[in-house]
Amino acid sequence: MNNDVDARGKSCPLPIVLTAKAVRQIAVGQELVIKADDRAFLPDIEAWCKKTGHALVRSASRDGYFEAVVRRTA
Amino acid sequence: MDGNIAPEGDGDARLRSIEAELALLRAKLEQVGALPAAQGLALSTGAGQEDKLSLIVFSGSLDRLIAAFVLATGAAAMGMQVSMFFTFWGTAALRRDAPNLQKSWLERMFGWMLPKGSRRLPLSQMNMGGGGPLMIRYIMKQKGVASVEEMVELAAELGVVIHVCSMSMELLGMKEAEMLDYPGLSYCGVAKFLETAAPGKITLFV
Repeated sequence: MNNDVDARGKSCPLPIVLTAKAVRQIAVGQELVIKADDRAFLPDIEAWCKKTGHALVRSASRDGYFEAVVRRTA
Repeated sequence: MDGNIAPEGDGDARLRSIEAELALLRAKLEQVGALPAAQGLALSTGAGQEDKLSLIVFSGSLDRLIAAFVLATGAAAMGMQVSMFFTFWGTAALRRDAPNLQKSWLERMFGWMLPKGSRRLPLSQMNMGGGGPLMIRYIMKQKGVASVEEMVELAAELGVVIHVCSMSMELLGMKEAEMLDYPGLSYCGVAKFLETAAPGKITLFV
């Protein structure tokens, strides 16, 4: 099952809330791709990873949206 | 200078007293030096350091409720322990329509005047006789902002705890049967709130 999050068109706090829900569905060490176009997404996902301890593998600005990859650490 | 030269024995005594004074000063200096470290220790082990968000939701207006639930669901997503305490108009905001309840005349009056659930809540500003909330709900849908109802559901999924002030229930003449259906919703008093909030990092009044 693919747990990746497409939060495009959704605004704060949904991208983070949906990420938090999805990360519970994957195993430790697995990665999650999150897409969002909320302008707060990049700083928010960075803060979320810092706070929760999950690893931010990469984050980037795509064409009209942002994409982040998060690895579950615990 | 002659008068200041002490006999040999006296010199020893003076040296000892100076050394004693020096030792005392050193000890005091160490105390002062240790102070910031001691305070740091007090901060890291004392109150205000649990990863908790406690919200007092006093307001019963839609905009403030949105703010409260954005904070609550966001904090829960961050892995924080979240408690929301609903009091006064906030309590009324958790109401749902439940007919045929035994109420006094005055309680019925309140029942007519208070909003029946989150879908009938006014805005704290630009309410415009109820037009404001309709507009804001429309805009929220357009912009992908979760509605209060959706956020309540998310809050439940994420384990946000809701406490309702029992005194407000009495005051507004509200019955448990007309309260929002929320997992683990409980009634409490000020002591429960203070006990929960005291060790937490963030407490907000909305």
